[in-house]
Amino acid sequence: MGGYGDIKMIDENGLRMDGRSATDVRPITIETGVVPVADGSCRMTWGTNDVIVAVYGPMEAHPRKIQRQDRAVLDVRYNMAPFSTTDRIRPGFNRRSREISKVTADALASVVLLEMYPRSKIRVEIEVICAEAGTRCVGLTAASVALADAGIPMTDMVVSVASGKINDVVVCDLNKEEDNYGEADLPMGVLPNTGEIVFLQMDGDLSPEQFQTAWDYNVNAAMEVHKIMIEALKNGGAK
Amino acid sequence: MAIPLVPKILRSHLLELASKDERIDGRGRWEGRQTKLEVDILPRAEGSAKVTMGDTIVYAGVKFQLMTPYSDRPNEGGLMCSAEVRPVAGRNWEPGPPSAESIELGRVVDRGIRESGCIDVKSLCIIPGEKAWQVILDLFAISDDGNLFDAFALAAIAALKNAKVPCERFEVGQDHLLEVSSMPIMCSYHKVGNRFVYDASKKEELGGDERIHITLGEANHVHSLQKGLKGIFSADEFVEIMEKAKDTSKELRKLVNSVVGE
Repeated sequence: MGGYGDIKMIDENGLRMDGRSATDVRPITIETGVVPVADGSCRMTWGTNDVIVAVYGPMEAHPRKIQRQDRAVLDVRYNMAPFSTTDRIRPGFNRRSREISKVTADALASVVLLEMYPRSKIRVEIEVICAEAGTRCVGLTAASVALADAGIPMTDMVVSVASGKINDVVVCDLNKEEDNYGEADLPMGVLPNTGEIVFLQMDGDLSPEQFQTAWDYNVNAAMEVHKIMIEALKNGGAK
Repeated sequence: MAIPLVPKILRSHLLELASKDERIDGRGRWEGRQTKLEVDILPRAEGSAKVTMGDTIVYAGVKFQLMTPYSDRPNEGGLMCSAEVRPVAGRNWEPGPPSAESIELGRVVDRGIRESGCIDVKSLCIIPGEKAWQVILDLFAISDDGNLFDAFALAAIAALKNAKVPCERFEVGQDHLLEVSSMPIMCSYHKVGNRFVYDASKKEELGGDERIHITLGEANHVHSLQKGLKGIFSADEFVEIMEKAKDTSKELRKLVNSVVGE
């Protein structure tokens, strides 16, 4: 968090720089089957974010030492394309993408019925083609859609949204400027059918009341996003 | 890339099809897959293109950085081209440092563009000996169903042709289009069932032998060649595919011009 509280990001009418109200989510589109050679895939645009996810498997787990006798291993990789940001990113894994890959895998492993595929592996490849803010949320949400597109059984899809604080006001779904100059960021992964949480991170500064507001914003937004996901999967048709 | 098991049955099937002058997906010997080119699609890149050739999908993105010119070439900027085939593109592509295959891909595309002279590196110099532009071309595969070479090369030249030099962001003048003076086009041929075919699909690549990549510039000047994989070819075979490459590159050049504008 930059914490530069002196930049005005909310006007007198309570509208944000891009014209959204505090609870509005950026425009979202979802398309399935975008990677023809994969078993399931999804492209999700969320504001200027553009993320492609491919799912391969369940397939044989290699090398054998990674195999689990009672369940499948979930191999998740989050990566940003070199041209996805204003300053070019050098290709290859870095500490940030490793951490995001891990927390995304932990979230997905909580809903995917891995016990149904012992000794196998399911690969989830998250590629950020264009980044704005909240790529980890888009990646996790798109990964759930891609897993569903691949026909992999899950108890629920994970919907991930981040709320934060700008100019001491809690707002939902931070955009790039709000993320850079905001005072807090609370990304969450919600299970829309039960309201349970499988992914949670936070940094910045929130009062207990603000924290509760941000939490509620996330859960409500997740329900809205979930509808778009369902619609996309229906339109994508069965494979 | 993990080497998949190629059943003998696929090889013999391809051989049988070749004897009837047929291909596994019904195409003619010199017929390419349906090709779609889109440009200026990535808001964070200064130039971008997406190429869809059948089920092969690739992106190219151009970024600019300021560099200090090399001391032996104080009046020149730089051009860098790198290709990444990440595991998203297919089940046999593995994570980890760039594989030999993806390095070869990047280098062959790079040579075609560099040697055609379509980017004048001298025009990239801002202050001799002090400041120059480095053009970075990143090639990124999303779905690999064969012939990544041609898809990458096509995306590369299209992305360069719509690239805007971000002078204002770096405070060195006004934004302007990158000067691209010519259009190198790559055509790749794969030996499948003992004869060369154009634009091999993944199955043909798996059950085939050697491949040849030809990059032709304006007036059919040759700018790069590469023979890859195990196999032997004759001079006559090469003459034949060279003639075909001349026709095909003309068609592809038309496609790029129709999308990017001359």
